Amino acid sequence: MVDKSTKAARGTVLCDNANMNLLKANDFVAESIRKKMAEMGILLLNITSSAGSGKTTLLQETGKRLKEEFKIKILVGDLETERDAERLREVGVEALQIVTGGICHLEGQMIVQAMDAIDLDGVDILIIENVGNLVCPASFDLGEDYRVTLLASTEGDDKPKKYPRMFFTSDLVLISKSDLLPHLPFSVEAAIQDVRDVNPEIEVFPVSSLTGEGIDKWCNWLREKAIAKRKSTTASV
Amino acid sequence: MHEVSLVRSILNTLEEQFSPEELQQLKQIDLQIGIFANVEPLLMQNAFEAVKETDGRYRQVVLHIESLPIKIYCEDCGVSSLVENYVFVCSRCKKPSNQLIQGTELLIKRVHFDD
Repeated sequence: MVDKSTKAARGTVLCDNANMNLLKANDFVAESIRKKMAEMGILLLNITSSAGSGKTTLLQETGKRLKEEFKIKILVGDLETERDAERLREVGVEALQIVTGGICHLEGQMIVQAMDAIDLDGVDILIIENVGNLVCPASFDLGEDYRVTLLASTEGDDKPKKYPRMFFTSDLVLISKSDLLPHLPFSVEAAIQDVRDVNPEIEVFPVSSLTGEGIDKWCNWLREKAIAKRKSTTASV
Repeated sequence: MHEVSLVRSILNTLEEQFSPEELQQLKQIDLQIGIFANVEPLLMQNAFEAVKETDGRYRQVVLHIESLPIKIYCEDCGVSSLVENYVFVCSRCKKPSNQLIQGTELLIKRVHFDD
């Protein structure tokens, strides 16, 4: 901002971008989350997708496979109900539901409050399951290390460029429900091409929580990132 | 997305920076919104009108929105290019780039007060 005026503003006042960014409050909170996670060596993931693309089911499978090896906790956002958190607890993963009460995305402040409500001691991987929506969650940094977006085979291979910001800001795209591919006019190649138009070097691969296709690959990806995060923290201490 | 809350955020930001007396003189707010910001200018205008209806202090204020296209920078060529149809490639060498230099803005650029 221009010098905070001792005299009244008159005429045209040119604003300083840093102060007049409408999402500055969220970006500030996201940075504080990132710092805290770096100090604690916790890998923070933000999982996004449309509603019904299989985020919770994938996380159930992930929990089953990795819960002995890593301490995993999940924060799950939805407009209403505790259903997803209950499903995650069923497989033995500690999960906290964030009920947004109608808000279509999670914001940094909601994550800070949720983190206060859980014990982060000894946690290796904290996963945020965002509200099912490819629009608004794209614009809100939650301080995550990686953003992982699911694109279900049932959604169609033309979605990435319809929701470019989400795919642009993602670090990994999983084509979920790959077991249905033989029954659908969905081309994995076309989907990958569409994603790479907006995000040229991104890794994309199919997964199926039902048949297990790609799940080991996904778990290996997660394992590698979690170990690297832990090492980076021990190294800097 | 959530245009009404963005309008509230504009007004809160201005209320932090200017006194109530100054804001009485507020005439126009110039926003810059990148087309990659997932914000629709028309809905933003509507939301602004709606907020004005409920908050009498801003009745006299006009909202002006400038849309900014998406631009990327190519390290190899050292040039920036406009992104068309969401294909993130350098316009000169056609090499992919995700070095965004413009397009996600949600900024208050200028505010105009009565002289």
